[in-house]
Amino acid sequence: MTGDPQLVRPPRTGWGRQTSLFQWRQPAFWLYAAIVLITAVYTVSQQQLFQELSPTGWALSWLLLLVYGLPLFLAIYLLDLYEREPLSLVFGALVWGAVAATVLAGIANAGWGLVVARIGGAAFAAEWTAALTAPFVEESLKVAGVILIYLIARDEMDDMMDGFVYGAMVGLGFALIEDVFYFIAIFGGTTGGVLAGFYVRVVSSGFYGHVLYTGLAGMGVAYFVSRRREASFGRRLAVAIGLFAAAVGGHFLWNSPWLNFFPANLNGPAEWLRIPLAAGVKGAPLLLFVVVMVNLARRRERTWLEAALRSEAGSPALSVAELRVLLNPPARRRSRREMRTRAGSGAERLLKRLQKEQINLAMVRTRSNLDDAPEVLRQRELCRSLRDALLAMPGAALAATGVEAPSGADAQAGADAER
Amino acid sequence: MSASVEPVPLPAPPLRQRRWVPVLVLAALMVGIVSGGYLTSDALGQAGGERVVVSSSVTVTALPGWELADRFRGPTGARLSKGSASLDVASLAFTGSPEGLLAAYVENILEPGAEQFRLSETVEGVVLDSGQVGARIAYVGLFGDVQAPIEGEVTAVVTPDGLGVIFDGWAPSGQLQFAIDDIRTMIRRAEIA
Repeated sequence: MTGDPQLVRPPRTGWGRQTSLFQWRQPAFWLYAAIVLITAVYTVSQQQLFQELSPTGWALSWLLLLVYGLPLFLAIYLLDLYEREPLSLVFGALVWGAVAATVLAGIANAGWGLVVARIGGAAFAAEWTAALTAPFVEESLKVAGVILIYLIARDEMDDMMDGFVYGAMVGLGFALIEDVFYFIAIFGGTTGGVLAGFYVRVVSSGFYGHVLYTGLAGMGVAYFVSRRREASFGRRLAVAIGLFAAAVGGHFLWNSPWLNFFPANLNGPAEWLRIPLAAGVKGAPLLLFVVVMVNLARRRERTWLEAALRSEAGSPALSVAELRVLLNPPARRRSRREMRTRAGSGAERLLKRLQKEQINLAMVRTRSNLDDAPEVLRQRELCRSLRDALLAMPGAALAATGVEAPSGADAQAGADAER
Repeated sequence: MSASVEPVPLPAPPLRQRRWVPVLVLAALMVGIVSGGYLTSDALGQAGGERVVVSSSVTVTALPGWELADRFRGPTGARLSKGSASLDVASLAFTGSPEGLLAAYVENILEPGAEQFRLSETVEGVVLDSGQVGARIAYVGLFGDVQAPIEGEVTAVVTPDGLGVIFDGWAPSGQLQFAIDDIRTMIRRAEIA
């Protein structure tokens, strides 16, 4: 640990709190619930219709989307390395995207489509309605879900990474329902049609859609609400609007006829292979931008964790070497694997629990102003007892996990693991 | 210990009603986004209600919001539009069944100009207010340079005098569901001599 002056920042007071979606006293919760319940009626009836039209195609659509959606859900959820969001809020975001945003966007898109057609005429509307309505309408309604999640549980959105997680979940829910619609209504709902739809919309372009757009817009919301102490209102607003505009811009480019290299027909393998390339032209720049933004947000979270635990390093609850391993997720995973090899799966589970409680110690510290506050002392004691229990297991002390008494050699081992 | 220590004043209680403000603002914004398009479209001027003479034998009454967008020849026809939805009506000489006219329209007009063209599996029977019967089928496909897939529904009617009438209602995918009731109503009320 060093005394890097950059790390001296005010602690995030809300970090570490866990709030449920079901906040009965929050007006935002009731608005959320009312909209979701009303729109769910339409969503369910639409799915029933699809099921009646093509039972096999409908079942296959959902099966394929589960194969795609489940890993993506886990990847987004696990992206926040240090503070996982409460599952009820994460599912709440997913449901908003799948149910409320899709239905409201369907109605709104049709209305704004009328405006485009009245101004531009039928031929112009056929070509441009998707680009001139959906990006603005859909991104607004999806990001409204992120804002509602924030209003329901304000303490949970304390960094840009949180906004990305909630936004991406809203986008994932939206994409899943939209994909089912496309597989059945556009690609025909036959087995071949559904597989073709899956290839075009998921395999070829699954990385570029709603998850990215709303993740980006969600980061803007999180920046606006979580940087009150650090940035002026104007700057926060500018960043939030800028990120929302980037999301809308990416969506606009995707829907517009610009840079359209998609094949006009699908008569041979060359045309099928062209689809992912054409999708890449439209979607890859935004994907790159989001990857950079997410990495910056993750780096910032690491900085916060380091700042919160710096004064704990070298204590019975946390050694210097352990802190280095803790700050490096790949090193954390490696340390657990090595622990399993040397001391068995029981020791691995115990190490995982210890690492989790050490991160919780950081969260408890950010909530408490006092170094010897009862909850801080309790958490320290829990960590210490877990370390003692782990070290008592045969073979555990030999594993290069950093779970040893602080020493220069251990610190070096931790540093090596970090590299 | 001193008994004269002044109690620390408690902070003012949070303004509970302020929790409603952002929620109400957000709700208003969502209402604006969802209904704004319809209101703006209305403000731009409502068309409709006019009788569109497609040919000497076919007249269609446009519902509110629908207007004549185009006329074409070969076969003689007209396009009515509302937003991104359109209803193409054409009349031509035809002897045969409505199903035959439907098949001819699909094979000669729709399929040649489409990619990834798909038809619904069943042909539905239709009865117009005038008592004339027709056949109806749904389709989806990519047409011309338009990137978005088009959904459509074709209705064919053949009179005993050998007049065939085609009604092709279409819109970009996802939009047809919001116009299909209007389209079916205009077809049902169409006057075919």
